[in-house]
Amino acid sequence: MAITQATHGYEELVVDDPREFRVHGSIYTDPRIFEEEMHRIFERTWIYVGHESELPAPGDYKTVLVGRQPLIVSRHEDGRIYALYNRCRHRGAVVCREERGHSNFFRCRYHNWVYANNGALIGMAQASGYPEDLDRSRYSLVPAARLESYRGLLFVNLSYDGPSLAEHLEPVRKYVDYWLGRSPSERIQVILPPHRYEYPGNWKLQAENGFDGYHGNYVHLSWQRVLQLSRESTVEEVQQYRQEGCVRGLRNGHGLLERPGSLNPASSWTARMMHRYPEYAEAMRKRFSDAELVEISARRNIFVFPNLYLFDTHIRVIVPKAVDRTEVQLYVYALEDVPEAINRSRYRGHERFYGPAGFGAPDDIEVFTEMQTGLQATGDPWNLLNRGQHRERVVDGEVIGHTTDEAPQRSFYREWRRVMSQA
Amino acid sequence: MLTASEAERFLIQEARLLDERRFDEWEALFTDDAVYWVPMDPDRDPTDSVSIIYDDRKRLHERVYRLTRTPVLDQNPPSRTVRIVANVEVEPVDGTGEQRVRCNQLIAEMRPGGPGQAGLNSPRWLAARCEYRLRPVDGQWRIAFKKVVLLDSDQAQYNLSFIP
Repeated sequence: MAITQATHGYEELVVDDPREFRVHGSIYTDPRIFEEEMHRIFERTWIYVGHESELPAPGDYKTVLVGRQPLIVSRHEDGRIYALYNRCRHRGAVVCREERGHSNFFRCRYHNWVYANNGALIGMAQASGYPEDLDRSRYSLVPAARLESYRGLLFVNLSYDGPSLAEHLEPVRKYVDYWLGRSPSERIQVILPPHRYEYPGNWKLQAENGFDGYHGNYVHLSWQRVLQLSRESTVEEVQQYRQEGCVRGLRNGHGLLERPGSLNPASSWTARMMHRYPEYAEAMRKRFSDAELVEISARRNIFVFPNLYLFDTHIRVIVPKAVDRTEVQLYVYALEDVPEAINRSRYRGHERFYGPAGFGAPDDIEVFTEMQTGLQATGDPWNLLNRGQHRERVVDGEVIGHTTDEAPQRSFYREWRRVMSQA
Repeated sequence: MLTASEAERFLIQEARLLDERRFDEWEALFTDDAVYWVPMDPDRDPTDSVSIIYDDRKRLHERVYRLTRTPVLDQNPPSRTVRIVANVEVEPVDGTGEQRVRCNQLIAEMRPGGPGQAGLNSPRWLAARCEYRLRPVDGQWRIAFKKVVLLDSDQAQYNLSFIP
């Protein structure tokens, strides 16, 4: 089967067959499809741009790419956060080149047009060249169509059309709440700078992998051997653990991998920390019921469509650069109002597995590059994502599968197909 | 005391051990309380932030064990490296007998493979400012501290698991 028209036929590129769900390899390799993803997904859906704790004070800002469009996210004197296109209204130069910082205004270096950090045009060089009654309000930095936050997580949408952030997040919201619940005040503080790695492969390879419970015993056997060396767990124990829990394919393209929660210190990290630090246990018990604590202590890799993961140590942002080039940013965070030692051990645990020199993440990255090469072979151009289709069940709109099944991947690609097929 | 040329000889030997993938011998250069640090931001306290590598001696041993004795994917095929050590400066650390050694390093790295393999076959260059603290132990110089600040330490990196 030859598919030559990248701009048509997304219905055919994701085949939602009840026995053999599959996706066409061109979605990872065709630059025209990548171009359309930038427009149809990244410029029309809710894209994570940062956490409010990154911009604590008025004047704080960071710059981001949404798809390929440069934006500034900035906190104004009024305390509110603004998302502004990083483009001077005069001749189009960026008005900010730094990654992040603190400033009361943004200045275009070409002709000194100056903007407040809510985007308002304050002035320009040799203003007498314009009429005295020039309506400067017409020349503010253009705001993103929509900027909304959910419990500190900031998202922009470059389109006025489509669901609100609350509607978009609704299927995954309770899991985000549980995720925050490991802090007794349900607050996190992003720790800068983020880990950043890149690989020569498509962005969806990382999206598919974060909730994949099938690869761990093979790709991360090396990691399991390190744990065994340090007498933390035997390979057999880790492999048993990796059979527990479930995957959930959620509506709107979200999904997650879940290990069961427990109040037993031997079985969950949260319970272990509560056992080790009585003041933490007291604060957690004051805030949450036992049933809530069991949910909070479940370890989840939560995916928010299209490119965000919430992990136990970090917020992961997948940044597509080209059809075969991707950057991934891991924003480690502190849990607020927990003993310092808990957060420090989380940072060390994160470094040990993640980042460009961790003992786990580089093995995943290696596989992404192997996939990008293999996907050039088109004898049979289809990738299978049908694992566990025969044994999944639907409960309250969630598709629940065995921990090694591909239910969340199927949710992701159903939403990918829906968004890509929209006019 | 350590002269600049002695320090340079030490660093060149260390680079050779890494280039020849003699990781056990390399690990043995470190003191029991050693720290090996590859920061993203060298001005930040590594205990309260996250680094590319922030190894104590136990973690360093795990790193070498992972590279040499586990079925690691990202170093199979293994990296070839060529390291150049230059701009070596030495100053004593007051009252400790330790010597602070600064140098610049250029590391060329490549992993070989078949035709068209993404991530393989293309050499890349890493440039770094390095700082060591060397301590005399039983008449031998040992590494008590090694810091590698990559030129692009705050930028996105492809895998660095070969030991920069």
